[in-house]
Amino acid sequence: MRRVVVRGMFARKLRLTLTALAIVLGVTFVTGTLVLTDTLNKTFDSIVGTAYAHVSFEIRGATTLKGVGATSPDSTATRGTIPASILGSVRRLPGVAFAYGSVSGYAQFIARNGSSIGNGRALGYSFDPNPQLSSLRLVEGRAPTTANAVVMDRSTADKYRFKAGDHVRVLLPGAPQTFTITGIVTFGNDNSLAGATLAGFYLPTAQRLFDSAGRYDAIYVLAAPGSDDVALQRAITRVLPPGIQVVSGQAIQSDLKQTIQNALSFLSDALLVFAFIALFVGAFTIANTFSITIGQRTRELALLRLVGASRRQVFGSVLGEAALTGLIAAAVGLGLGVLAALGLRALLGAFGIVLPSSSLVFEARTPIVALAVGVGVTVLAAVFPARRAVRIPPVAALGDRTGEAAASTGRRLITGMALTLVGIVLVAAGVAKPAIAYVGIGALALFLATAILSPVIAAPLAGSLGRPLARLLGTAGRLGRQNSMRNPRRTAQTAGALTIGLALVSAVAVLGASLSATAKQEVDSAVNADYVISGSGGGGISHTLPAIIARLPFVTATTAVYGGQFDFEDSLSHLGAVSTTGLDRTVNLHITHGSAAPALAAGELLIDSTTAADKHLHVGSVVGVTFARTGSTTIRIGGIYKPNPLAGSYIVGASYFLAHFDHPLVGAVLFSVRDRAPGVAAVLDRAKATYPNLQIQTRAQFQASQQNSVNQLLGLIYVLLALAVIVALIGIVNTLLLSVFERTREIGLLRAVGMRRRQVRTMIRSEAVIVATFGALVGIVVGGALGVALSSALRTSGITTISVPVTSLIAFLVVAALLGLGAATWPARRAAGLDVLGAIATE
Amino acid sequence: MCVALQLASEHGGRVIGAAPTNGVPAARAHALVKVYGRGQASVRALDGVDVEFERGRFTAVMGPSGSGKSTLMHCLAGLDAPTEGSAFVGDHELSQLDDQALTRLRRDQIGFVFQAFNLIPTLSAAENITLPIDLAGGRLDRGWFDQLTESLGIADRLSHRPSELSGGQQQRVACARALISHPELVFADEPTGNLDSTASAGLLGFLRAAVADHGQSIVMVTHDPSTAAYADRVVFLADGRLVDELSAPTAEAVLERMKQLAS
Ligand SMILES: Nc1ncnc2c1ncn2[C@@H]1O[C@H](COP(=O)(O)OP(=O)(O)OP(=O)(O)O)[C@@H](O)[C@H]1O
Ligand SMILES: [Mg+2]
Repeated sequence: MRRVVVRGMFARKLRLTLTALAIVLGVTFVTGTLVLTDTLNKTFDSIVGTAYAHVSFEIRGATTLKGVGATSPDSTATRGTIPASILGSVRRLPGVAFAYGSVSGYAQFIARNGSSIGNGRALGYSFDPNPQLSSLRLVEGRAPTTANAVVMDRSTADKYRFKAGDHVRVLLPGAPQTFTITGIVTFGNDNSLAGATLAGFYLPTAQRLFDSAGRYDAIYVLAAPGSDDVALQRAITRVLPPGIQVVSGQAIQSDLKQTIQNALSFLSDALLVFAFIALFVGAFTIANTFSITIGQRTRELALLRLVGASRRQVFGSVLGEAALTGLIAAAVGLGLGVLAALGLRALLGAFGIVLPSSSLVFEARTPIVALAVGVGVTVLAAVFPARRAVRIPPVAALGDRTGEAAASTGRRLITGMALTLVGIVLVAAGVAKPAIAYVGIGALALFLATAILSPVIAAPLAGSLGRPLARLLGTAGRLGRQNSMRNPRRTAQTAGALTIGLALVSAVAVLGASLSATAKQEVDSAVNADYVISGSGGGGISHTLPAIIARLPFVTATTAVYGGQFDFEDSLSHLGAVSTTGLDRTVNLHITHGSAAPALAAGELLIDSTTAADKHLHVGSVVGVTFARTGSTTIRIGGIYKPNPLAGSYIVGASYFLAHFDHPLVGAVLFSVRDRAPGVAAVLDRAKATYPNLQIQTRAQFQASQQNSVNQLLGLIYVLLALAVIVALIGIVNTLLLSVFERTREIGLLRAVGMRRRQVRTMIRSEAVIVATFGALVGIVVGGALGVALSSALRTSGITTISVPVTSLIAFLVVAALLGLGAATWPARRAAGLDVLGAIATE
Repeated sequence: MCVALQLASEHGGRVIGAAPTNGVPAARAHALVKVYGRGQASVRALDGVDVEFERGRFTAVMGPSGSGKSTLMHCLAGLDAPTEGSAFVGDHELSQLDDQALTRLRRDQIGFVFQAFNLIPTLSAAENITLPIDLAGGRLDRGWFDQLTESLGIADRLSHRPSELSGGQQQRVACARALISHPELVFADEPTGNLDSTASAGLLGFLRAAVADHGQSIVMVTHDPSTAAYADRVVFLADGRLVDELSAPTAEAVLERMKQLAS
C-alpha cells in the first residue's frame, strides 16, 4: 500500500510539473517579449537623448503633407530642405549661442575586400566640429575639413580595421568616391548608432554629395545660457520664411520617442500574439489535465462531499490547486523569460531583423503581467473542470464509477453544426465581399465549432485512423486504437491543442504559398526586363547608374524606378515613378484604360483599377496632390492599370517625380539586353565591383528572391508557432501519463496474461500516434480551408494567385504523427516499466 | 528444454501438451522465502515454503488472511521474485528467466483468474478470451474456444464488453481466457470471492471438469471450505509456512481442520 501511495504522489508531482510546463512556456514568451521591447525602448530612448542632448531648437522645412504630424521626425522623406541663407540671420539673433546647418544622405563604406559594409542603415552627414552641439564625438584624428576627407564611426573602423590616414571608398547617391579618413567618431558613448554606419563629411562636401548645394536639411540651435526659450523660439520664427518651422529639442525628443515606441509596440504586439496562442493552447492542456484528474478523483471528491464539504469548498480546492500551479509556472516562466528575450533577439536577427544589443531592462510591470497571465490562464482553464467537480453527487463515493460522464451528444451536435453553419456563412460572405473581418470572425466560429464537435467525431475518426495501425501492429495496435476511442472527450481535448497549432500553421502555409505564387505571378506579369538591379542591405542605388547601364552596348532598354511619399487627395500615399523611354520592354503595366508611356511622358498620373473604382476616378479626371517640396498641385489621370503590388497604386514619370522630390535615391533599375549578347556577365561583374552594394539579378533570380522573402517571413512565423505545437505535445505527454496511471491495473493485467514490454510500448505509442494524427488532420483541414478563404479575401490587397501547398500539408501530418510518437516515449516507457504485481495490487 | 521452449514459442507454437514430462510436478516451491520491506518494518510473507502441485490435479491453498497465500501464488507464477529459495513451473526455475522469458511463460504456460478486475474494459468478451493467443500472434484453436464458451455458458455473450456482463459472467470469461492457450497450470486467486453461491458452483464445477476431462492442473487460493471441497487436495498456510494438508477434502473436513489450526 505504501508503494501505491508513493506512486500516487509521484504521479501528482509529475502532473503538476507537466501542467505547469504548458504555462511556463507561454509566460516565458510573454516575459521575453516584454523584456526585449523594454530593452529596445530604452536603447532607442538613450540614442534619441544623445542625439538631441544639446539641441535647443531645430529649424526645418514644415511638411505640407497631411498624413505627417507637424513634428514628425522623418525629415528627408516628407519635408523639403531649407535655404542656407537662413543660418546667418539665426546666428545673429541674441540668445543664440551657436547654430549650424546640416545635411545628410546615403553614404556606404566599401571594405578593403571590395564588399559594401553594413546591412543596416548607412548614414552620411555633414560633420560639425563643435563639440557643444553635436552628439558625435571625435575620439581620434581630426575633423574633415577638405573635399576628400571623411570621419568614420568607431564600430566600423574597429571591425574593418580602418584608422585615420587610410583611404576608403564610399558609395553615394552619385558616383562612388575615395576619401581619406581623418578621424574616428563615436555617437555619444556608443561606438555606432544602433548598428548604422556613420560617414561624416566636411559640410560643403556633404552638400555637394547629397545634392543640397546652398541648402540644409535642418539647422540646429544651441541657446545661450540663461536665455528665455519661449522668447527665443518666437524670435527665430520671426526671421524664418514661410514653410519653415522651428521646433524645440524637447518636443522633437518626445516626438521621436513616441514614434519609436509606436514602432516597437507593433513588434511587441506581433510577438505577444504568438505568446498568447501558446498560452491558449496551454489552457487546453490544463483544462484537460484537470478534467482527467477530477475524473480520477471522483470518489475522493464525493467522499469529501459525503463527510460534509460544501460545493464551494470543492470548487475552491480545485481552483486553489490551479492557482498554485499557475503561480509556480509564472515564477519559472519569469526567470526563463530573460533568456527568452536574448533568444528572441537572436531569432529575429537570424531572420534579418537586426536589433541593437544592450543590457536587458526589467520593468516592474513585467513580473506583474507575467504572474497575472500565468495564474489567470491556469485558473480560467480550471473553471470548467472545477464546475464538473462540484456536480459530483456525494453518492458517487459508494459506486465504483470513475471516468467521466459522457456529455450529451445530441446537444453538442446541434450547437456544433449551428456554429459551423454560422462560421461558413461568415467566411463565405467575407470571401465574396471581400472583407477580412468577416473571415476572421467566421474562423473564430469555426474553431469553436471544431472544439465542440470534436468529441463527437473523436471516436469514429480515431477509429478509422487507427484501423491500419491496428492491422499493422496486431493486438497492441488494436488496444492502442481502442484506448484512443474509449474516452472521446479526452481524446478530443488532447488533440484539440494540436488542432489549434496545426490549423494556424496550415493557414499560414496556404497564405504563404499563395503570397509566394502571387509574387512569382506578379513578376511574370509585370516585369519584361531581363535584369533587375536593386540595392542590397538597405543601401541605395547611385543615380548615375541608370545612365551607365543605358550606355552599355548590349542593353536595349533601361528603366529607373523611384519611390516616395505624397498626398493623394489629402491622404498620405506611396508614389512610384519610372523613366518612360523603352518602358514597354522592361515593365508591363496591363493598362486597361488610357495609356502608359505617353501619359507618363506627358506628366500624367497612372492609378490602378482598384483605386480608380474606390475613388470613382477615370482617365481624364483631375485630382489634387501635394508634395513635401513643391506643395499642392493638380494632376490629370492618364491611365488605369491592373493592380499589382510590385507597381503600387500610383505611378508618375521619372522627370515629373524628380521635379517634385529632393535628392531621391533610385529604388531599382530594370533593363533588357539583346538576345545572345556576349560578355553581359563580365560587364555586369565589373559594375558590381564598382557598386558592391548592388544586387544584379536575372528575371528568374529576381523572381526567386521575391518568393524567398515571403518564405523567410513564413519561416519566422513557423518558428514562433512551433511553441504552440510544443505546448500541445506536452499536453499529449501529460494525458498519456495520466492515462497510464489511470490504467495501471489494466496494464498489469495485460502483462500478467502475457503482454511483452515491447507490446505495452507499442500500445501506448499507437494511441499517441492516433491522437496526434487526429488532432493534426482536423487542424490541417480547418486551417487549410481558412487559409484558402483568407487568401481569397485578400485578392484585392495583393494576393492574386491562390496556392495550396499539398506537399507541405501532408508533411505537417506526417511530422505531427511522428511528434506524437515522440511524445509517447516517456509514457510508454513508464507503462512498460510498471511492475506487474504492483500494478495488479493497486487498490 | 529452456531453449526449446523459447524457440517453440517464438514460432508461435505451444510446448504444453506436446510432451508432458511425467513425474515432474506442474509447479514446485523449494524453501521459498519472501520478505517485504526492510528492518523493523519487514514482513516475512513466506517463511520457507516447500510444496509441490501435481500435474492434472486441482489443489486449493487455504489459510488465514495475511498468511501468504497470494504471495505464494505470485512467486510461483513469476509475478514476483522470492527473497530466497526457488520456484519452478514445470522444469523452469523462474529466477533463471529474464522478463522476456517470464512474460512468454505466463502467456503460453500459465492461466490466471483473479478475484476481480480480470478483463480489459475496451475488449469484447471474445477478444478478452483470445488475448493471450493474440498477444503471442498464435493461431486460435477454434474448436477449443467453442467448447470452452459453450460449457461456460457465455457463447451468447461474446460480443459484449465487460461492463455489460454480470460479475459471474465476467469470471467465466476470465476462466475461458485462463484455459484458452492450454496452459500447463492455472492459478486462481479467490476466483469466486465476489460471486454468489450459484455462480460459484457453476464456475467451480467447470474448473473441476477441466481437471477431470482434460487433465488440467489448477492451483486455487480460497477462504471458503465449501470452495476448497471442489479440489483434489488442500494445503494450509499459516504465517508464511505450510502447516498441513488434506486429500480428497470435504467441506466439513476442511472446516474441522481449520478449527484445529486456529486453536
Ligand atoms: N507489497 C507488499 N509489501 C509489503 N507487505 C506485503 C506486500 N504484499 C503482501 N504483504 C504482506 O505479506 C503478508 C502476506 O500477504 P498475502 O497477500 O500473501 O496474504 P494472503 O494470505 O493472500 O491474505 P488474504 O487472504 O487477505 O488475501 C501480509 O502480512 C501482507 O501484509
Ligand atoms: Mg490474497
